[in-house]
Amino acid sequence: MSAAAGVRGAHPLVVSAGVAVGCVAAIAGLAALPGGATLAQQVVSGLMLGGIYVAVAVAFTLTIGVLNFLNFTIPTMFMLTGMVAWGLARHGLPFTEAWHWALALPPGIVVAILASLVVERFTFRYLKTRHGDATEHAIPLVSSLGFLLIFEHLVLIVLGSDAQSFPVRFRLDWQVGPLVVGLPQLASLLLSLAIVFWLSWLLARTRTGRALRSIAESPDTATLLGVEVTRIVPVVFLLSGLLCGVAGALFVVNYSDVSPFMGDHVGTKAIAAMVLGGLGSIWGAIAGGLLVGLLETLGIHFFGGDAAQVVVWTVLLLAIVLRPQGLFGGSRIGKGKL
Amino acid sequence: MPMLLEIEGLEVRYGRTHAVRGVSLGVATAEVVTVLGANGAGKSSLLKAIAGAVTPAGGRIIFDGADVTALSAPERVKRGLVLVPEGRQILVSLTVHENLLMGAYGRRDGDVARDIEGIYARFSNLAARRDMLASVLSGGEQQMLAISRALLARPRLMMLDEPSLGLSPLLVGRLFELVRELNRDGLAILLVEQNTRMALRTASRGYVMELGRIVLDGPADRLADNEALAAAYLGSH
Repeated sequence: MSAAAGVRGAHPLVVSAGVAVGCVAAIAGLAALPGGATLAQQVVSGLMLGGIYVAVAVAFTLTIGVLNFLNFTIPTMFMLTGMVAWGLARHGLPFTEAWHWALALPPGIVVAILASLVVERFTFRYLKTRHGDATEHAIPLVSSLGFLLIFEHLVLIVLGSDAQSFPVRFRLDWQVGPLVVGLPQLASLLLSLAIVFWLSWLLARTRTGRALRSIAESPDTATLLGVEVTRIVPVVFLLSGLLCGVAGALFVVNYSDVSPFMGDHVGTKAIAAMVLGGLGSIWGAIAGGLLVGLLETLGIHFFGGDAAQVVVWTVLLLAIVLRPQGLFGGSRIGKGKL
Repeated sequence: MPMLLEIEGLEVRYGRTHAVRGVSLGVATAEVVTVLGANGAGKSSLLKAIAGAVTPAGGRIIFDGADVTALSAPERVKRGLVLVPEGRQILVSLTVHENLLMGAYGRRDGDVARDIEGIYARFSNLAARRDMLASVLSGGEQQMLAISRALLARPRLMMLDEPSLGLSPLLVGRLFELVRELNRDGLAILLVEQNTRMALRTASRGYVMELGRIVLDGPADRLADNEALAAAYLGSH
């Protein structure tokens, strides 16, 4: 048995724990090297950024895996959380001075979830029942692209097109030797990973998870077994809205900057992360998200901000050419994954 | 005998194709009825329409005294009207055990675990492979899983679409034995088959379909004796 097959056979939680311990040890080792502290600091911020990509990449993976549908509104859910949180905080909602910025985030997440359900109701469900066959995949794709632009411009009209900044930064730093780790950032990274782990448990172990995997393999068979597909599909949109909302909150906590177009950059990176990890694999999306985050911060560290994007996408394209099935490959494009 | 299932003037159309044309038939409580006919006669479309997988263009479906024509497939499953589709349609990305759990998807009672143990006691091959992906099963085992999965929905009428397809003669014999056994326990069965001889030996009544219409019906032994007539409609079997 090859090493790869052995890894795939092990429980993902065991593998993840191993990878986490390895990461911490590598960062510690790097920081201990002469002059390695700056690099180690970059690795820490890369993993934080990666946590955001992980949540969005898993949201993409979920809709592709269950519905075979590349949902272009996912970056919008992410953006809505940031912009709604900023708008609520800005317009002085009834939060006390010390807390209102942080308390604006949960309503932002709720709005992202609601928007996701609206998209389900008016693109996927409606079009799915009216047209079948050849147009089945293209029409929801195009209409979700329409919703992306509508949401972006609605936000633009209500809150303006300028990039905005939360005046209060979410800072509480933790000094570990030469490294600075932001506690709110660390907490939000752990939260996003916790949600992803919960989701994979839900898919693997619950009645709803089994129904979702049945739909992923064959909606017709699922229906004959008693699954009301139109009642379960909103769950997918609810979960992807939740993931995007959490990712948006994570972004706000890390960078404090929001704009109506903040989703575009994260969305493309998350799609890349998903493909890099292996289409349809949640564990692939986690690995891909963290890797893209690392690539990006290390690219900026070594080559500067502009060149970093070239580096990131070149590495991604090479990886896709050399290993088109992704790191956690084997999953086919189309139905029957997860 | 009271009718469990009554179909009146059922029509199924796919675009310009008129697959089922004014079919009426009935299945009594605890009866085995077979629908025979050549490929493309409309047998599968008929079963799909009864199960709710396709929407009929006309006609009525009465199950257990209630009109279920407007109900969704999952609602029909809950009432005990269950289809084992053509090609078995095992979920190969799920384990054997998960396939069985999916069979009981609509049930909210506490007896599911006990019923699944009953299935394992009956089919030791499934028990031995309970935590393996269903894709490792042989054709015969997949058919056992498909029927077991349907049984877990607690059906009152089970529809079987070409269950013997692709099975060895030995397994076909066992399959029909199982069908008779289930029927003895009180389950009504509507059986679509190409294996005319076995189907007519198992059923009490039969219908013959051609080009979407029922062209012949009667007690199974009479149909079996009516060799010349049957051969004309059923081909070489």
